[in-house]
Amino acid sequence: MKGHNMKIIYKRILILGIVAFWCLLQPESLLAQTKEVSGQVSDDMGDPIPGVTVMVKDTSIGVVTDLNGKYEISIPDVYDVLRFSYIGYISIEETVGSRSQIDIQLFPDVTDLESVVVTALGVEKSVKSLGYAVQKVDGEKFTKAREPNLMNSLTGQIAGLQVNNSTALFQDPAIRLRGAVPLIVIDGVPSTDNDFWKINADDVESINVLKGATASALYGAIGRNGALMITTKRGGKGTKVEVNSSTIFQPSYLVIPEVQTTYGNGDNGQYAYVDGSGSGTEGFGWIWGPRMDVPDPTTASGFVERPQYNSPIDPATGERIPTPFISRGRNNIRNFFQSGLISSNNINVTSGNDQGNFRLSASHVYQKGLVPNTDLNNTSFTVAGGYKLSEKLSADASLTYNRQYTDNFPETPYGPENYLYNLVLWTGPDVDVRDLKDYWVAGQEGFRQKHFNNSYYNNPYFQAYEYLRSYHKDNTFGQVKLDYQANDDLVFTLRTGMNVYALDRTDKEPKSYIKYGRVSRGNFYIYNSGQINMNTDFFASYKKQIGQNLVINTNAGGSNRFIRFRSESLNTDGLAIPNFYNVANSEQPLQGANRLSNEQVNSVFGTVDFEFMNAIFLTVTGRNDWVSTLPTNNNSFFYPSVTLAGTISDLVTMPTNIDFVKVRGGWSQVSDGRIRLNRNSDIYNPYEHIQAYSPGISWGGSPSLVFPGALINPDIKPETSDSFEFGLDTRFFGGKLGLDFTYFQIRDFNNLITVPVSLTSGHSSRLENGAEYTRKGWELMLNTNPVSTNDFNWNVGLNLSTYKRFLTKSFDGSDRFGDLRVGERADQMFSNSQYQRTPEGRLIIGQNGFPIRDPYQRMMGHRDPDVVFGIQNTFNYKHFQLGFGFDGRIGGTIYSLTHEKMWWGGTHPGTVNQYRDDANNGISSYVADGVVVTGGTVKYDDYGNILEDSRTYAENETAVNYIAWNKTTLNAEYNHYFDASFVKLREVSLTYQLPNSFLKKTSIQNASVSLVGRNLMLWSKVENIDPDSGVDNLQTPSVRNIGFNINLSF
Amino acid sequence: MKFKNILYIVTLSILLLASCQSFEDLQFDPNRPVQAEPGLILTSIEANAFSTVSAGAALASRQLIYTNSISDNQYYGWQRGSFGDYDQLRQVSKLSEEAERTDNNSYRALAIFFRAYYIIRLTNTFGDVPFSEAVKGGEGNFLPVYDTQESIFTKVLEDLKTANSLMGSESGEILGDIIYNGNQDKWKRLINSFALRILMSMSIKTDNPTLNIKGKFTEIYNNPSTFPLLRGNQDNGALVFLDVEGNRYPFFNSNELKTAYYMEKSFVDMLKARKDPRLFVYADKTANGSNLDDRDFNAYEGMGGAEPLAENTNQILSGDGSPIDRRYHSDPENQPSLLMGFAELSFTIAEAAHRGWITANAADHYHEGIRASMLFNSIGNSDIDAYITQEAVQYSAETGLMKILEEKYISLFMNTGWEAFYNQRRTGIPAFSLSNQIVNPGGVPKRWMYPQNEIQLNLNNMNEALQRQFAGNDDINAEMWLLNP
Repeated sequence: MKGHNMKIIYKRILILGIVAFWCLLQPESLLAQTKEVSGQVSDDMGDPIPGVTVMVKDTSIGVVTDLNGKYEISIPDVYDVLRFSYIGYISIEETVGSRSQIDIQLFPDVTDLESVVVTALGVEKSVKSLGYAVQKVDGEKFTKAREPNLMNSLTGQIAGLQVNNSTALFQDPAIRLRGAVPLIVIDGVPSTDNDFWKINADDVESINVLKGATASALYGAIGRNGALMITTKRGGKGTKVEVNSSTIFQPSYLVIPEVQTTYGNGDNGQYAYVDGSGSGTEGFGWIWGPRMDVPDPTTASGFVERPQYNSPIDPATGERIPTPFISRGRNNIRNFFQSGLISSNNINVTSGNDQGNFRLSASHVYQKGLVPNTDLNNTSFTVAGGYKLSEKLSADASLTYNRQYTDNFPETPYGPENYLYNLVLWTGPDVDVRDLKDYWVAGQEGFRQKHFNNSYYNNPYFQAYEYLRSYHKDNTFGQVKLDYQANDDLVFTLRTGMNVYALDRTDKEPKSYIKYGRVSRGNFYIYNSGQINMNTDFFASYKKQIGQNLVINTNAGGSNRFIRFRSESLNTDGLAIPNFYNVANSEQPLQGANRLSNEQVNSVFGTVDFEFMNAIFLTVTGRNDWVSTLPTNNNSFFYPSVTLAGTISDLVTMPTNIDFVKVRGGWSQVSDGRIRLNRNSDIYNPYEHIQAYSPGISWGGSPSLVFPGALINPDIKPETSDSFEFGLDTRFFGGKLGLDFTYFQIRDFNNLITVPVSLTSGHSSRLENGAEYTRKGWELMLNTNPVSTNDFNWNVGLNLSTYKRFLTKSFDGSDRFGDLRVGERADQMFSNSQYQRTPEGRLIIGQNGFPIRDPYQRMMGHRDPDVVFGIQNTFNYKHFQLGFGFDGRIGGTIYSLTHEKMWWGGTHPGTVNQYRDDANNGISSYVADGVVVTGGTVKYDDYGNILEDSRTYAENETAVNYIAWNKTTLNAEYNHYFDASFVKLREVSLTYQLPNSFLKKTSIQNASVSLVGRNLMLWSKVENIDPDSGVDNLQTPSVRNIGFNINLSF
Repeated sequence: MKFKNILYIVTLSILLLASCQSFEDLQFDPNRPVQAEPGLILTSIEANAFSTVSAGAALASRQLIYTNSISDNQYYGWQRGSFGDYDQLRQVSKLSEEAERTDNNSYRALAIFFRAYYIIRLTNTFGDVPFSEAVKGGEGNFLPVYDTQESIFTKVLEDLKTANSLMGSESGEILGDIIYNGNQDKWKRLINSFALRILMSMSIKTDNPTLNIKGKFTEIYNNPSTFPLLRGNQDNGALVFLDVEGNRYPFFNSNELKTAYYMEKSFVDMLKARKDPRLFVYADKTANGSNLDDRDFNAYEGMGGAEPLAENTNQILSGDGSPIDRRYHSDPENQPSLLMGFAELSFTIAEAAHRGWITANAADHYHEGIRASMLFNSIGNSDIDAYITQEAVQYSAETGLMKILEEKYISLFMNTGWEAFYNQRRTGIPAFSLSNQIVNPGGVPKRWMYPQNEIQLNLNNMNEALQRQFAGNDDINAEMWLLNP
């Protein structure tokens, strides 16, 4: 408290000094009366802003706020208005009246032109000078309504960025910037391992999204698809301790599959358990069993009774005594899953002075999964700081250690490893999942799981508590940067960054665990891998003003990147002792494999910026790479970029309501020497260009080799993208409205493609350069600030974007490449398992009453959405802040495996009908809606289009067994391809900023409490799944996140 | 001075972190070899070529039925086949290259044999297929023409003669041989026996003078010193399964085989009619018959392959369906997989004798085939003797062809790929049941359509072959050259 008092005394002295100073300068005021006003200036988050200019309007009287945002000013009586202004914030004028204390909140000016953004190589530039599209998101957006992964938080925030959010625990969101995977850069260092989990949201100052290659060309090949530039926090002036804590509950489901609860396990309406392996009328795995809850006055229970897996055994006969066949398992899915939780806590200390600053931060994020016994821990320690070593030399460095660890997280693709597989598709509602908690067969603990079906499915509790998939990953990343200011014009920068990880994973597979087609004898799998990625840049920057209107800015330098990756795997073949997970416990010889790869890129690059009259900006860049991932004769390549930005409003007088008009345009060419066989994946083999043998089957210990099907052109070259973009950036009505529009077109040519060839050539494909794709679209950003007063402020941000990819040239000059014709969209979804239809689209039914297969593949829809959008709203009223955001995607197609399999297996509610009862009673009553061909012929062209058709039809009249129909005709009547459009209420947050008057009595400088919710509402046409994920391979239920956040600083 | 020191130290230490390797050094993949020893390629070819156990073939051949859905194999709803065997022909061509590099006649002969084996499989499936220009992608030919089936058979027969002459005790060591452990003599026997299979598969063409099938068959059969043949099960072209990951019986632990594959009625009835003890090792008892003795024929029932799926399912649910024997899914080694066995050879020779192609006692070879098949399925000699002496099994000149082919059909259960189906396609024996449940209006299909990929990737050559063979229609009911008398 003593320090506090001292501060006040100092402050008083300071104020007295200021007053005295002004009195001396303005002798007339000596005579006038003055009034004293004090207060604090804070930002929209309630954090104090130091350095805010507080001026008495129409005078030159003014003060600046101190480190705590506080000010005191004396105002001559004749004046009554104070003006608060600060760069990057909207200025506010406030009438004083009789008040002596005025606390002010300043809101960021979303339309600010002078604000700087971080561009390629970490160079900061003003928004005004950029010839390409950039969008910035502040780090504070990510820490309140916490997502387990930073990338999830970017959903709907950036025009042109599509984030597909997975519903399952610890699954990467899929991110696409203008349709391709962007580069992640942390503090100027590329992080090509694309591990989004290692970036702790609490440490993120801001993310600048460089949307296209025009912006990121300087990063070379890895920057071909734009970049997410993450800037981490540093210390400010003075010492501050901050605590941020969030607890998010997952109390309810947004989407959860609904299953029928009328029929139980079994086939053709029959069920009698013997051993769960097909010895009775069970074990086949179907949910096409008898009706449940059927009254039967002859039994003790009053219901039809059947022998079931948990029926008691008659000691006399050794057979099971029938028990009532009733719908115990109506709520199996909800009963099995538990509510999840995300708890994150961060504490950080920052300190700084004129010489330097530092920041220490420790974070822990704990996530409890929906599946029992699954979780995820994510811990980060970061130290970062900068220091002026001398007048000319300054250093900046950061280092983060991050550990992601879990002893068990669920597996998600379709199959017996997936919990939904066992719960939604393949458990009849006659079984109550809660009865399965005791999961060992008595007397066979460790050897045999207890379940109602022992041939196809796993007891979900057995799976959750015994089939354990662990993941432990240690990440270390950071950078050191030196700036040497040789003279006023010349700066040398040296930066080296590293991204290192070591990952160890194990899978413990207990005895009797079922994986398709096999009942495990117990196994232990180990997979270890590690990567070191070093990135070093050295460059010189020279800036020179020539005359009054021209500034030239140049950079030149070189860089080196080196990546070493290694992995080893080892697994047992059966376990001798159950539940003893050690490779020494293998029954049969161990199996193992390993891999090692090294990759290197050396580069030189240069840029020149010309600034004319601070209104026209021209930038030219060039880069040459030497890569190890191509044959040495083709490993060197050069690529350029040029951008131009012109502020028309600075050159021409504009009408009053138009504040600012900037046009910008850019072109770049970027080449890439990494051979990625799947353009949607970051995975590539640095030795892909080398034709070599692969290991084949080992028989009785005898190894073998196989020659792969891909034939590699030994003269392979890098692939190239030409990007062009044009943009318009405008501000209207005194900054109340900002509009930014960008059109882009990217021509991908010389692509490193897998050209499919006829298998008869002895190869399945050739690796070649060729074909041409064009990506194009537009992005629109609208920012508006319809209301802004001291008490109330409303901000709206809207972003809209489109993107499409077309095949524009084939490989061999023909009109086709693979499945596509030149000019067509490249995101078509094809199916090879359709049925024949009439030209009107009616099913053609065969003589057996079942539909006839279509021998041709058919196009079922387009994967990519037409429009991706997001709307963010922020309201500030006094100490409250309310934010909510909607986002979504319009158009696109999603294939629902959940839907298909529910119809197939018998759990879809639509299968509850009379035909099903008939089938259960042995009656074939289902007459499919279709036609039979009564005569004539049809002639198709080579691709299945009808050339001639003289077929005549009659209505189908053949009745078939409804169950056989559903088991056989997966795609006939129900379309499992859905319109993927959706709108989501992504986030709502309400924050209360504790008033200063309250905090004055404590040592707390700043405190806020927020109530937050994410993933709250969904509007979509898709059944049973959340289309946000973009794919459905038997998706985990989607949950609502609701919780609170507390932020304190001292 | 102090400041400069700091600068030097920091700069130097940062630069040390940058790495610079020579780009030449990074052109060597530490994970994959660029050259292979022939024995290493041979192992993978053998593991594939000799792995012939096919449940699909058993469905199409009315030996098994499937209950999980309306199977395209069982209800003859199939359309397009696969060119996957060309993948193996690529391995064979690498074996051939390595044989040249190491100048080893044994590998040369093996490369010829496996090339013959795969191309015959392909042509049996489709009709005309690329052969003379096939597997030349490495030389830039990605659009190979289709060869006529006749030219393929003619060439293969010549090639097998060459392979026989190349292979011998002095022809070079064979490493990585998981079938005969490098025994050149046994390979010679398999090559010649395989040639007899091919000649017999052309029986519809017996009267074609240019082919001279009879003469070629006689030439091999009558010259055992030049063309030695398999002598017994010990010479079988057999892949023996091991209880090691990846080397187990292909259906080991298969839940589908365990719960969805049941015996077909006509097959069970055929075995019952002749009191064939192989029924007890091919099938398990029905649920209702579970209390009967294992050797009680009444404990076994089949379902009609052409009957509606729901009826078959109901028969099983009511306890009257026999599943396939549990050893097929519960024994990791079960029985070896045959590329060609002695039983098949014996029946082939018996048929040739019956047809008068060669001078030999058909009945003797017929009995030898039965015995080999029974022994292969671990049936004791006393059971075999009792079986052979039965009236229903006796060979006679009138019914001999049917007897031989039925026994061959029984012996090929869950073995030797699609041979049971192809023999039936050639001879019509035994008859396969049909009904209105069959998807294909033409009944049992005669072939498969060419793969979808050929439309995209080799359309003109495929269309030329279709024009030449079937007036342009890619039809599963069309009769290929081999089936046209």
